[in-house]
Amino acid sequence: MPSLAPVVAARDDATQELYDRVAELDPSPLSIEQRTGALDRFLSLRSGREKPGRFWRVDFESIAPQASAIDLSAGNVRVENHDPAVFVCDLATAARKRPEPFARAFGTTGIAATKFGSLAAAFAQCGVFVHVRADHACDVPIVIHYSAPAGAAIFPWTVVLVERGARVTIVERVEGGAGAFLCGATEVVTEERADVHYAAFQNAGDGARIIWNRAARPGREARMAWASAELGGELAAGDLSVSIEAPGVQADLTAIFFPRGTQHVDVISTVDHRAGDATSETLVKTAALERGQARFLGNIRIAPHAQGSDARLRDDALLLSPTAHVDSVPALEIGANAVKAYHGATVGAIDAEQIFYMESRGLERGAAERMIALGFFEPAIERFPTAQLRDEIRAALAAKLS
Amino acid sequence: MPDHGLRITNLRCQVAGKEILKGIDLAVEPGKIHALMGPNGSGKSTLAFSVTGHPQYQVTGGSVELDGEDILVLPPDKRARAGLFLSFQYPAAIPGVKVANFLHAARQAERPGDLPPAKFRALLLEKMEQLGIDPSFMGRYLNDGFSGGEKKRLEMLQLAVLAPKYAILDETDSGLDIDALKDVGTSIAALRASEEGRNTGFLIITHYPRILSYVVPDVVHVMIDGRIVKTGGHDLAHRIEREGYDKLREESAVVA
Repeated sequence: MPSLAPVVAARDDATQELYDRVAELDPSPLSIEQRTGALDRFLSLRSGREKPGRFWRVDFESIAPQASAIDLSAGNVRVENHDPAVFVCDLATAARKRPEPFARAFGTTGIAATKFGSLAAAFAQCGVFVHVRADHACDVPIVIHYSAPAGAAIFPWTVVLVERGARVTIVERVEGGAGAFLCGATEVVTEERADVHYAAFQNAGDGARIIWNRAARPGREARMAWASAELGGELAAGDLSVSIEAPGVQADLTAIFFPRGTQHVDVISTVDHRAGDATSETLVKTAALERGQARFLGNIRIAPHAQGSDARLRDDALLLSPTAHVDSVPALEIGANAVKAYHGATVGAIDAEQIFYMESRGLERGAAERMIALGFFEPAIERFPTAQLRDEIRAALAAKLS
Repeated sequence: MPDHGLRITNLRCQVAGKEILKGIDLAVEPGKIHALMGPNGSGKSTLAFSVTGHPQYQVTGGSVELDGEDILVLPPDKRARAGLFLSFQYPAAIPGVKVANFLHAARQAERPGDLPPAKFRALLLEKMEQLGIDPSFMGRYLNDGFSGGEKKRLEMLQLAVLAPKYAILDETDSGLDIDALKDVGTSIAALRASEEGRNTGFLIITHYPRILSYVVPDVVHVMIDGRIVKTGGHDLAHRIEREGYDKLREESAVVA
């Protein structure tokens, strides 16, 4: 009779090396046992992403860092914070000096239950804890820089706790050198009436692979705005989610993707309306050029008791080359009846009438196409915080279009 | 200088394999206003698009010269930079492109480096004030969510800012109320009064004579079934107002 016990595969050398690297880590904020368990999960869980096929080249099940490339230093992170009233520190310090507030956020969003969230947890070493106390308005954005050196693998973990009535804007900048591997996580937990704007801008170098998982749990009547621009790297894959567990939440998700060359972007957004009388608005703009590929799955889930929910999802894709490919899959799962839910998706090339209109005003065809393509992103760009960041995103998009 | 003018000679044009223009001869001189009238479907807009280079309009014969230069060999942007302007009947909406940025890009394309950004902005504000356009227009996306009247105002603003050598206004009057019509007249008068636009030649396409009460043409042409069947002075527009196109259609049938 065959055994029903779970089969534990024998560790090959490469896998064993990963466990060996875990053993070298500091036992904070996670113990070595917790890290080992996370690595077990990473190796056993499936990604839930598309398998390689006619269009998709990336096999997410086989992605793993090279043990020798893993950078276990707590470096690779730099924070700009000009507000002394906001507490910012690394994760080990947070676990030691502020264990109670840290524990209210760290590991509470379910990220570590996913395949790549588990990988990030296994090696979480360079990270940042941001704690904004009740009713404090932080008017200058906090900027977190994560930088993966060429050829190295890093695992940044950001934890944000914003107490009731507080307000903060955080900009996460992700850079990676050629061939870098970055697998990160961001958890944002807020209390009632908090207002958080969290933007991530990734413009990594050629050959970099960037995998991220960002999850938020806003409190009652809180506002949570995610904005993510994934422009660099060979592979950018991520999960962006908001779990609405209290009424009155306003959640905004914005994402910009622009794969070019052989870049591949694969993003899943999820807004989980578990409490009623909350609104969510997801806006995704994807352009693809040359052999660039993007896949976007937008989930909206409204639980049976989440009456009064108002969820909108808009996803537009612009194909700038015949060889580019974008898959856009909005998925609405609505369990309540007194709700508003809307989704719209468009995929297409630039309208010939738009080009002619611009040409008739003296703009060369290429300039017209660039202007139209940049304009295509603009409604999403405007949802990013700070004029400087918006201008940087515009410049990065323009550079990709040139 | 005999070569000056927008000179259309025996122009023939097809759309989707069907001949629409059957040999058009028309010349707009600098500083003159020509009106091109005709019933729906007579080919007026086809003339506008074929002269400005719309890719769906295939010119099968004839020539178009702008101040002596053959423009049919040029792509649409070069025709514009040569000094040709088309005010669209249905301007395309381009979300995400702000009016001010677009106008600056267009002015730069047509007159590179002639105005630094601050001076361009001043020019834009001046023209907007002349046309009674709210400054908030500058920050709006091009024609996106604009009413019909707002779109036409924006076309007139572009005309004013670009001050072309020759402007084709394709049914700019359609869908406009009397006040908006007056504003179109004011726009054209303002351009003609400016240093940049005093020599602009106009081809105003319309099927209603009423706009010609606000913009008095030097020459009126009537197009029916892809041909110019009559050319005359301003009084021709009045005749059309009285009699409609049917009589001219009958006369042209007799001639043909």
